[in-house]
Amino acid sequence: MSADACGNPAVETEATMDRRLKYDRSKACIKCKINAGRIVVRHAVYCKDCFPTLLSTKVKRSLEPHINPRTELSRRKSLKASGNLLIGFSGGLGSTVLLDLISKIYLSNRNELRPQDPTDGKARGGKDHPRNEPVWQKASMTDRGDEIKSLMQDKYQNLELIALRLEDAFDRKWWDQVGGRASTDVAIDVTNEDLYSRSISTSDMSDPIQKLRSYLSALPTHTAIDNAIRTLTRLLLLHTARRTQSSHLLLGTSLTSLSIRLISSISEGGGFAIREEAQEEWHPGNSSSSLPIRLIRPMQEITMKECSLWAWWNDLYVIGKEKRPGGKQGIAALTKDFIVGLERDYPSTVSTIARTCAKLAPKAEAVGSCILCERPLQPGVQEWKSRISIRATAPSSPSSAPVLRSLAPLLCYSCHTSLTSRSSKSISTKSENSPTPLPFWASAHLNALNTVNAKDEGGDVWITRRVGHNEMKGAIGEFLLE
Amino acid sequence: MSFRIMWSNQTFPPTLIMSSITLRVEFGGGLELLFSNIKQHKLTLPSIVPSNNGTKLNGEVLSGGETKPADVEYLMHHLRDNLLQERPELFMEDNTVRPGILVLINDTDWELEGEGEYALKDNDEVVFISTLHGG
Repeated sequence: MSADACGNPAVETEATMDRRLKYDRSKACIKCKINAGRIVVRHAVYCKDCFPTLLSTKVKRSLEPHINPRTELSRRKSLKASGNLLIGFSGGLGSTVLLDLISKIYLSNRNELRPQDPTDGKARGGKDHPRNEPVWQKASMTDRGDEIKSLMQDKYQNLELIALRLEDAFDRKWWDQVGGRASTDVAIDVTNEDLYSRSISTSDMSDPIQKLRSYLSALPTHTAIDNAIRTLTRLLLLHTARRTQSSHLLLGTSLTSLSIRLISSISEGGGFAIREEAQEEWHPGNSSSSLPIRLIRPMQEITMKECSLWAWWNDLYVIGKEKRPGGKQGIAALTKDFIVGLERDYPSTVSTIARTCAKLAPKAEAVGSCILCERPLQPGVQEWKSRISIRATAPSSPSSAPVLRSLAPLLCYSCHTSLTSRSSKSISTKSENSPTPLPFWASAHLNALNTVNAKDEGGDVWITRRVGHNEMKGAIGEFLLE
Repeated sequence: MSFRIMWSNQTFPPTLIMSSITLRVEFGGGLELLFSNIKQHKLTLPSIVPSNNGTKLNGEVLSGGETKPADVEYLMHHLRDNLLQERPELFMEDNTVRPGILVLINDTDWELEGEGEYALKDNDEVVFISTLHGG
């Protein structure tokens, strides 16, 4: 900017810098160059007629290269997915707009579409995907299932609703429905950083809601609770996608939401799996199909402002999300405040966050996946943690319950930190004797690992478990000098 | 560019008191919850208002200070002081709307209209939409 643009405030007391316009060049639409602009998107002006094309182009650009089993960099005319389509619908702004856009882009003018029974034996997937396939949605974790149900009946009659609740993650019925491996209930002791696990009988805790409450109340911080809810939601959807033989799971994460997630995920220790925040391929544990389920966020180029205006202009009813009490104190909420403020003043910077993170890749190869979030597991997490932290563990008596193993080496840095990182504002009131149940997929992974170890007779089996003083003394007794 | 009128005398011109504009204001995206859960409001504002956006409009206030044509910035102050029921920090921050609130003036993004400096005209429609639904 030239020196003439603003005077010298020291000399001219009235001198102020000219206010920078929020849009480039003129108020006319940059697309048709005829109509008067109605919305400014990152300094570019669009009219009301060109705006729908803008959004649908962005959705197609993010989604279509990933529809075919083999990811294509170039756009292809023939789109052929290997399975069905599942859309995550929470009732929030992003997922409401996603559902509307997908419906308008791929399902409009398809009069032959009628509500279909998934058990009617009709062939799914194939050349017409995702146009003529039933689409499932996920109900919000809050008690707004009826609202979502009536919305579906009113507006999206050709779509099929599958309601999911957060407590399903602890519900054996749901786990059996999605075809999960049979497993015993496993609980962990979150008061110890090694997170010792033990099996619990179903009679101890059978109500899924009680188990969910117990799990969330054991978490030490508000950030950990937000993180846990997000992980539970994601895995519930992915397992449901497997059940519905879906090849694709779409989430309504906008560019703004994605940038918030990227920054907060890094802050919470999830940097190793940063690529998975934007897009991931999930391999079901005991899948009979060889192809992974693709979790795609087709709205990752669309800002929250565009979503909001689309909803307004199309008279979309946004059910909204309940705010969790205390959620404002978490890293995610603080990051959201920062990014939303940044977007108002510097909208392009928010896009830069997403584009920069898309270029990041971990240095080391993953050594499997975390049993809790099922994202790539970084090698050497516990070794690194033991080097950088000073720990004082209070002595405790070993439990009489059957001990399985320490969970710590099986968790990614983010999950382990979420479960164990305490602050001065720690909110957990858990004691050692009250076990914290794990979601069924984590229990299944743990059971499977134990089975593999038991069968592996030829090799060494390393299991970290807590032992009492007497047992320890007995093991090394003959080497002790009197 | 906004113009300023300096009133040095103590008498408030009667023509100014009589001059007013009528607006339609609408809230969306959950923002209506702050305004008695009423989405649509019809307002009458004076066409000339204090430059400091003081909403206690009487002759004393106007006669003592600078004035300006009623603009969106004044409208926000008016809404906050007269219609808002709770938690003003969720509506305004630093003399403008809180980040995450989208403003439409006659169905057009307010960034194209000069944001808070847009001089309101009779029968204008101003919409405030909260984008913070999540999702």
